[in-house]
Amino acid sequence: MFNNSNMLSNNHSTNNTFEMTDIDDADTNFQELKESLVNIRSRRSEIQTLNYRNSPLLNLPTEVLLQIFHHLDRRDLFSLLTVCREFSELIIEILWFRPNMQSDMSFKHIRQIMSLPPHTTHWNYRLYIKRLNLSFMTKLVNDDLLSLFIGCPKLERLTLVNCNKLSRTPISNVLDRCERLQSIDLTGVTDIQDDIFLTLARNCPRLQGLYAPGCGNVSEDAVITLLRACPMLKRIKFNNSENITDHSILAMYENCKSLVEVDLHNCPEVTDLYLRKIFLELSQLREFRISNAPGITDNLLGLLPNSFYLEKLRIIDMTGCNAITDKFVEKLVICAQRLRNVVLSKCLQITDASLRALSKLGRSLHYLHLGHCLLITDFGVTSLVRYCHRIQYIDLACCSQLTDWSLAELATLPKLRRIGLVKCHLITDNGIVELVRRRGEQDCLERVHLSYCTRLSIGPIYLLLKTCPRLTHLSLTGIQAFLRREITQYCREPPPDFNEYQKSLFCVFSGDGVNQLRNHLQQIMEDRAYALDQGEGQPQLDNPPPMGNFGATGTNDEEGISLWARQRGLGILRDNNEMTPNEIQDINREIFTELTQGDGANNQQMTPGERAHQQLRENFTRFIRSQEHQRFSQRAMAYGQRRGGVQIMNGIGSNAPQISQPAVFPNEGQPDIPIMNDDEDGDVEMSATDLFGGTNNNGA
Amino acid sequence: MSAKVVLISSDDEKFPVELKVAEKSILIKNMVLDLNPDGLEEDFEIPTPNVRATVLEKVIEWCEHHKNTVFPDEDDEDAKKSAPIDEWDKNFLKVDQEMLYEIISAANYLNIRPLLDAGCKTVAEMIRNKSPEELRKIFNIVNDFTPEEEAAIRRENEWAEDR
Repeated sequence: MFNNSNMLSNNHSTNNTFEMTDIDDADTNFQELKESLVNIRSRRSEIQTLNYRNSPLLNLPTEVLLQIFHHLDRRDLFSLLTVCREFSELIIEILWFRPNMQSDMSFKHIRQIMSLPPHTTHWNYRLYIKRLNLSFMTKLVNDDLLSLFIGCPKLERLTLVNCNKLSRTPISNVLDRCERLQSIDLTGVTDIQDDIFLTLARNCPRLQGLYAPGCGNVSEDAVITLLRACPMLKRIKFNNSENITDHSILAMYENCKSLVEVDLHNCPEVTDLYLRKIFLELSQLREFRISNAPGITDNLLGLLPNSFYLEKLRIIDMTGCNAITDKFVEKLVICAQRLRNVVLSKCLQITDASLRALSKLGRSLHYLHLGHCLLITDFGVTSLVRYCHRIQYIDLACCSQLTDWSLAELATLPKLRRIGLVKCHLITDNGIVELVRRRGEQDCLERVHLSYCTRLSIGPIYLLLKTCPRLTHLSLTGIQAFLRREITQYCREPPPDFNEYQKSLFCVFSGDGVNQLRNHLQQIMEDRAYALDQGEGQPQLDNPPPMGNFGATGTNDEEGISLWARQRGLGILRDNNEMTPNEIQDINREIFTELTQGDGANNQQMTPGERAHQQLRENFTRFIRSQEHQRFSQRAMAYGQRRGGVQIMNGIGSNAPQISQPAVFPNEGQPDIPIMNDDEDGDVEMSATDLFGGTNNNGA
Repeated sequence: MSAKVVLISSDDEKFPVELKVAEKSILIKNMVLDLNPDGLEEDFEIPTPNVRATVLEKVIEWCEHHKNTVFPDEDDEDAKKSAPIDEWDKNFLKVDQEMLYEIISAANYLNIRPLLDAGCKTVAEMIRNKSPEELRKIFNIVNDFTPEEEAAIRRENEWAEDR
């Protein structure tokens, strides 16, 4: 029996040869076929004429119809698809422009349709696909799946992020004859070899974006061939390659004059020899990244004049380029005054002078990573924070000279969302309490990394959780106070490659784990407050701790006692309504003394026992004074306690930076920039699912 | 009294309009600018041969109402797409389908982007959440697919319904 839908698709598909072969093969009398074809055609055109006459909507110009469809989502387009031929021809191109491979269901549907021989479907859908993103269902993406997309001649963007099961041959096959290809993202693809690069060079002269961080096996010859064949390249990511040397950079410099993004993470052979020229000639550069390249020196910017030359540069990452010094940073800040992201982690020669230079970026600076810059101190952080109010992300991991001072300074950043202080071992509970106190309730912090800040204890972290409702990540690995089952039960699984010792120290809360931890601590606090309200009266510190909260693990150890004591601290405050202004002043004085003299030596004295209990009580006093216990804080206000605090501050006259400067932030209300994804102490990594901005995700 | 732009409809009706109002049409704005580089000194007639008087009147009413409105940046596609239809525009476009399409066509021809957008969004609203059969009824379209074809097309594209 002759199939109508095949016949009709002749009129809609440009792929006539397929259809004709199919018809020839069919066991049909040619005359019969011709008649039925003519029949169908005349019938159709009659209806179409009728539709044109009767439906004014169909008379709108195509560009207006397309604009109407632009406002519809896929389901509505699907309804329109079978209304009439006129619409279906327009809509089928919109639907398949970017096939939706994001959900399990649609992925499997599309796979099923693509598995059919193209001449048996109503249209040959491959002809419409311009953007293909397989990175949502990476587990289902293998060579067979990708091979279904061989022969999409209009393909413009191919995104294969984390499709690590793919091998090189199907990738090359898909790319074959894609002469309109503009971008390809191979982030996470492991089998990147010369043939992929050579296929790109042969077929894709319009290539603008190439993300191939796993290109370590590609030979330099192939890289250079590609760079010469694709002069329109704007965004390049070649990482982890020892094959890439200055020869590649020279080819880049000579052929790719439109570069806006260059990422050479972990290309240790590259030096500043030709990169210098790229910086001089390609002033449109927006993002530059390189790491662990000893040949990168202060000379990288050496050819540039001392002026605002790199107007477009927003992101620079020099991780582990050990040869650079403060001189580089000083020059950088002069030439690139609009820098938004700066990564200088593991640049071991960086000192406070760099931070002072970076402070000149003012409100441009949003993202700063200075991990392992061992030479920087509180003074550097202070000068930076004073001028760069818009920092959202700061990482100071392993900056082991930093103390609570830095935390107090960082607390004044109103837009701070992510703070990294891993292994800043001088940080104490006081710093956290100060952070909480200064930032106030409903704080915008989202990610806080405090692993190996070994002096921290539970109370201040509870306060932090309580005041930061948006917190989605809290890392407390390697801090003794938290390595107990009733806390770690909410922590996420350690990475599988950790050894037993590492696993025993692991303590990271993310997503719902943060909420669970918060609720757990909240519950403990409320139980205590309730017990006190019920007339337990003035609690005695030397009472034995109640077993209820800790019975599960049977801990009656020092940690249990200290947590219990902290609750006592809260209890004392709640009950003791008669605290005098003098007492408050005494507490303030002590706390501020600790803060202003917060060097390592002083903190060393803090040992468990009576003094620690006293200090914790102070911390809670301050927190409750400023935030929680309204009745109390009103009373305290009435006593002029605020003024008292300031006087004490001035009285100390320490040479340390003043911690009480008011935070004044001009230009509030400007639109936020989107925050970037960051992982536990990870390097700066842009989201790589789509190479170019301005793409919408709903296929219209 | 300053000189005016006189728009002439396809049925030869004349509409004298303040320049500021007429300039909502980028086509007219450019035409005035190109032909009167020193500014309008006397009334300037522009025929709009595709637009009937009743439609032109509506379009001018819209321009009049919006003469002081500052519209968002042309290039910001996403913002434009997500913005809801202005309340006044919504009521203004409560007209029969034929008139609606004529306004849209005129806005397209005269290059009045915000009016064109509002019109397109209004039509999109009419399409949203309807079955093919309902759509054919609303827009007076006869199905020109065979049942087999329709079934095949639906089967091959059902992924578009998935969330």
